[in-house]
Amino acid sequence: MSTFAGVGGEHSSHRCQQLFTQIKYFPLYWQNKKLVLIMNLISGIKLYIEKMCTESGPGMKIILLDKETTSIISMAFSQSDMLQREVYLFERLDSGRSNERLKYLKCIVFIRPTKQNIQLLANELRNPKYSAYFIYFSNIIPRTDIKYLAECDESESVREVKELYADYLCVNPNLFSLNLPNCMANLNWLPDSLTRSVQGITAVLLSLKLNPVIRYRAGSQVAQLLAKLIYDQTTKESSLFDFRGNVDGAAPPLLLLLDRRDDPVTPLLHQWSYQAMVHELLNIRNNRVDLSERPNVPKEFKELVLSGDQDEFYGTNMYANYGEIGSTIKQLMEEFQRKANDHKKVESINDMKNFIESYPQFKKMSGTVQKHLCIMGELSSISNKRNLFEVSELEQEIACKAEHSAQLQRIKKLIADERVDIDDAVKLVALYALRYERHANCDTSGLLQIIKTRGGNTQIVPALIEYAGTHVRQGDLFNMVRITDAVKLTRILIKGLKGVENVFTQHTPLLKETLEDVFKGRELDPMYPAINSELVPFRRPPQEVVVFIIGGATYEEAFAVHQLNNAGYRVILGGTTIHNSQSFINEVLTATSGTQFKHTKSMLKYCSPDNL
Amino acid sequence: MSGNPFDSTEEEPSASSDEILEGFLCPICRADLKSIDFLTEHFARQHAEEQDALKSVFKDIFTKAKQKILNNFDDERIRVPSAASPAASASNAAGSNGASAKPSTGRAQLNLYQNMSKQTVGAERSYFDYFQTVRNPRLERYASETNKLIIRLHRLLKDLPTDAVQRKQHEQQTVPWLDGSSVKLCPSCAKSFHIARRQHHCRLCGGIMCNDCSRFLQLENALHLASLSSTRGEPLQQLQHPDYRAIRLCQHCLWLLDTRQDMHESRTCRPLLAQVYEEIRQLQKQVTPDLEMYLKIVNSLHEGESIFTLADAGALRGKIGQVAEKIDLRSKRILTIHSEPGSREEALKKAIRLSCVQAIKERMLSLPPLPDEGYIRQIQERKRIETEQRILTEQRMAMEAHERKGLTIQAGVTPESRSFAQGSDLQSLNNWSAPQASTTVTMVDDPLIEQINIIKGYIKQAREDLNFDVVETLELNLRELQREVYERQRQSSSSARTAQLDS
Repeated sequence: MSTFAGVGGEHSSHRCQQLFTQIKYFPLYWQNKKLVLIMNLISGIKLYIEKMCTESGPGMKIILLDKETTSIISMAFSQSDMLQREVYLFERLDSGRSNERLKYLKCIVFIRPTKQNIQLLANELRNPKYSAYFIYFSNIIPRTDIKYLAECDESESVREVKELYADYLCVNPNLFSLNLPNCMANLNWLPDSLTRSVQGITAVLLSLKLNPVIRYRAGSQVAQLLAKLIYDQTTKESSLFDFRGNVDGAAPPLLLLLDRRDDPVTPLLHQWSYQAMVHELLNIRNNRVDLSERPNVPKEFKELVLSGDQDEFYGTNMYANYGEIGSTIKQLMEEFQRKANDHKKVESINDMKNFIESYPQFKKMSGTVQKHLCIMGELSSISNKRNLFEVSELEQEIACKAEHSAQLQRIKKLIADERVDIDDAVKLVALYALRYERHANCDTSGLLQIIKTRGGNTQIVPALIEYAGTHVRQGDLFNMVRITDAVKLTRILIKGLKGVENVFTQHTPLLKETLEDVFKGRELDPMYPAINSELVPFRRPPQEVVVFIIGGATYEEAFAVHQLNNAGYRVILGGTTIHNSQSFINEVLTATSGTQFKHTKSMLKYCSPDNL
Repeated sequence: MSGNPFDSTEEEPSASSDEILEGFLCPICRADLKSIDFLTEHFARQHAEEQDALKSVFKDIFTKAKQKILNNFDDERIRVPSAASPAASASNAAGSNGASAKPSTGRAQLNLYQNMSKQTVGAERSYFDYFQTVRNPRLERYASETNKLIIRLHRLLKDLPTDAVQRKQHEQQTVPWLDGSSVKLCPSCAKSFHIARRQHHCRLCGGIMCNDCSRFLQLENALHLASLSSTRGEPLQQLQHPDYRAIRLCQHCLWLLDTRQDMHESRTCRPLLAQVYEEIRQLQKQVTPDLEMYLKIVNSLHEGESIFTLADAGALRGKIGQVAEKIDLRSKRILTIHSEPGSREEALKKAIRLSCVQAIKERMLSLPPLPDEGYIRQIQERKRIETEQRILTEQRMAMEAHERKGLTIQAGVTPESRSFAQGSDLQSLNNWSAPQASTTVTMVDDPLIEQINIIKGYIKQAREDLNFDVVETLELNLRELQREVYERQRQSSSSARTAQLDS
C-alpha cells in the first residue's frame, strides 16, 4: 500500500487513507499474557552471580569464597566468564589466606552463612585488605550475625550486605545436587545433612520464586522430618516466600520429597545415556571428570569439564545414548576433518585471513570433539573390558521382567565368569535379591556364596535389603500388581505387547511414573500427604514441580525429568547427591551402619564386613 | 533508528502483525498524541535520553526544516509511509524469531540453555540498612573522637619546642595529663608501677600506661595526619634522641589514628597498575560501539545498501585494530610493573593480561571479513533491478486501477514521476543525484534543498571522523528530505495538471 500511494496517489481519497498511518506491531512476548515461570537452575545461579558483579560496580575485583560456594560458582561460570566481569582473583576465606593488602581492589564476598565463615569474615573486616566489601550470603542468616559483622566494620569498608539464595549445585538446568554423598546413618538423618538439605531446598525455592505445597513420601521418617523443617522455614520467613499470590488462580507449585529407598534399582543399573554413563564409569564430580588415573590419556585431557552450558556438544547430547553419541561424534569428526582439510589448502593470503578469522570457533570445535572422543574411547574400552553389554542386558531383564528360574541360571553363569567385574557381579546379585526377596525359591544365599568364593564384598546385599527391602518400599517398583488393579494391568500388558526397542534401555525409573501421576491429577494424599494442606488446590495438578530425593538422585532420573520437560511440564529434580552405583552402595553401607539387621536373617553369615 | 524522532515517529515497518493502531503514535510508549506537533514534542521530552547530544543538535536542524515544510503543507500534513529500512526490518524479524522460538521436543535437544534471558533473578533480601544502623553510630563516635585527636595533634605539633623540658611543658599545656598519684596498676596490662616501671602519659588523651603499653607515632606521620607541611617538621627531625622523634600514645589513640589513615589511603589509593587498568577499560568501552557499528556496516553492505561504503568499513576496522593494539600494549605494560614473585598482585597482573588477550581475540580479531567490491556492486545491481521491477509493476497496477475508474492519465507526466518515484522508493540507492542536480539549480532558495546540501556536508564530516552512528542517521534523514522534495514536486505538478484538466 505504501509504494502504491507513493506512485499514483492523485486523489484526495488516497490522501485520506494516508492521513493516519498504520502501525503494525510484532507480537511482543508479554502480549501473550500468560505468565510462564521459567525454571532453569543454572541461570538461577548465573543471574545471582551476575547481580553480585554488577552491584559492585566497575573496577578490578577479587571474589572471596568458601569451599562450597567455590563449587557453586564453578558449576555455573568458567574462569574466563569471571574475568570478563572484572573478577580477576579468587580467594578462599577458609584456607590459604595471605596478608597482602591490595587496597585498589574491590572484594565480593560470597559465602555460606556458617558460624565459622562469620568469624573469619569478622576478622577480615577488622583488618580489611581490600578497599570495599560487597557481602553476599548464600542463605538465610540470623540478624545477630549481621549485627556482629556491623560492629566489626570499623573502617567503613562494607558497601552491601545481602542474602542471594545461590546455595545449591546446579548440575543441569533441571538438576541440582547438594554434594552430600552420605546423608543418613542408622537409617536416620545425619544432623548436618538435614540442615544442609533444608537450606539447599529453601534456596532452590527462593531462587525460582516458588512457594509450594510440600508433599512427602508417607511413612518415610526422613522425608517427613525434612518436610516439616522446610515448612517451618517457609512460615517463619513468610515475607520472603510471598510471591505472586495466585492471582490467576493457578495451582501452586509442588515440592515433592521422596525417599531413595522407594527405588533402589535405578542407581544400581548400568546406564547408557551419555551423562549417566560417564558418571557410572568415570565419575563426574562438580561437572568435572578426572581421567588422570586412566592410562593413555593425553595430558590436556587429564581433567575435563563437562558443562552443557559451555560445551554445546555436551549440552545437546548429554541425554543421547551410547550408540547415538558414537554416530554424532563420527559426524562431527568428519565435519571437523573437512574443515581441517580446507585449511590445509590455504593458498592465497585471503584464505589465510579467513582461517585466522574463524580461528576461535575452529579451536573451540576441535577441542570439544577431541574431548568427547577421548571420553568415548574410555567408555568403550571399559565397557568391553568388563563385558558390560551382557551384564547390562541381564540387569535390565531382572529389573523389568519376572522370570525367576531362567534369570537365576544366567546370573549364576555370569557372576562365575572371571571376565565380569566383581562389582558388577555383586550388583547383579543385589538386583536379584531386591526383585525376588519374597520369592519362594529365592536363592540369594547361593549367589552370595559364589561372590564370596570370588572374594567379593557380600555385605552389600543384606545391607541393601535392610535399606530398601519390600518392608520399606512403597509404590510398585517391579510392577508386582494384583489382578484387581485392572487399569495398571492393561498398561503393563500394552507395554509388553509393544515389545522392547532396546534391550539396554528397557527400564524407566519409578520417578517418571510418580511424576506422570502428579501431572495427571491423580489422588496423591495417601502416598504423598501434604504438610501444608491449606494450599492444596481442589483436584488441579500443579504447574511446576520440584522433586527432591533424599538419598541421592541419578542422571537417569534427570533424563526422565528432561523428557517430561520436553513434553511441556516443568519439573526440577534434586537430590542430596547425584549417585552412580558405587557411590550409592557406599551410601547404603553408611546408612545401615549401626542398625540391627532384622529382615536378612538368612544372610546373616554374609553380613560381617570381615571379608572386605 | 529510534534515535531519530522523525524516522520513527509514525511508521513502524512490519511484515506481520496482530493489532493495528492508527494515529500519531509514539513508537516507544504507544501513546496516541493526536497531532504531529504534540507527538514531536512528546518524543523530544519523554524519550530525549535516548539520543546523544550530537544527534539532538541535528534534531534541532530538522525541526526547523520540518516546520517550514509543515507551514507549506499546513492543511494536509501528509506523511508517506516509507518503505522499511532493510536493516531495521531484518533486526525486527530476528527479534520476533527469537521471541517466538518454540521449544523443540526431541531426545537429543536441550534448548533450555537458551531460555536464560527470560528468567528473572531470584529472591533476595538486603540487610544493608540494618547493617548501617548498627555500624554508623559507632563509626560516627569514632570519627568525632578521631577528629578531636587530630585537632589536639595539630596544636601539639604546631609549635613544638625542640628542647626536651619545654616540649614536656608544651605537651602538658595542650593536653592535661591525668593525675597518676592514685593509679597503682597500668590500666592496660594490670602490672603495678614502681621504680623500674614508671608511669607514662598518652600525649593525646593524657591517659596513663606503662612503657611496655606505650605506642609511638613517628613525627613525620604525625605531621602528615595533622596536615602540617613537612617543612615545619624539619627542625624536629634534627632531634638526636630517637624517643623525641616520636609522640608517645596509648594503644587506643594510635588505633584511631591508624584507622583514619587507612581509610584515607584505601580511598585514594591509585597505583600505576590501577591507572593503566583504567585506561584499558576506557579503551574497551570506547571500542564496543565501534564493534557493533562494524557488524552493522558489514551487514548493510551484504544487504546491498548504499548508506555505508566499503571504505567506511575498512577505516573502522583499522580503527578497531589500533585500539586492540593499544589494549595489548597496556596489558603488557601491566605485566612489567614490579611486584613480588608469587604474590597476589602477580596473579592479578597475569589475570588482567589473560582477560585482555581473550577480549582481543574473541571480540576484535574475530570480526567477519569485508566483502570485496565486485561482490557488493553485484548485490547492489541486483537490488536496483529488483526495485525497478517492483516499481514498474506497481505503476502498471496503479494505471490499471485508474483505467478501471475511467480516468486516463496524461502521458507527459509519467516519465518524470517515474524517475522521482524511483528515488523516493529506493531508500537504498544513491541515484538521486541526477534529478537533484537539476533541482538545486532551479530552487536554490528552497529551504529544503538548502537543508539537503547542509546535511551532505555534515555526512562528509562525520565520515571523516569515523562517526558512523551519525552518518547513518544523517543518511536516513537525507533520504527523508529528498522524499519530501519529491512529494512537493509531485503535488505541485499534479495540482498543475488538475488545473489544466479543469480548464
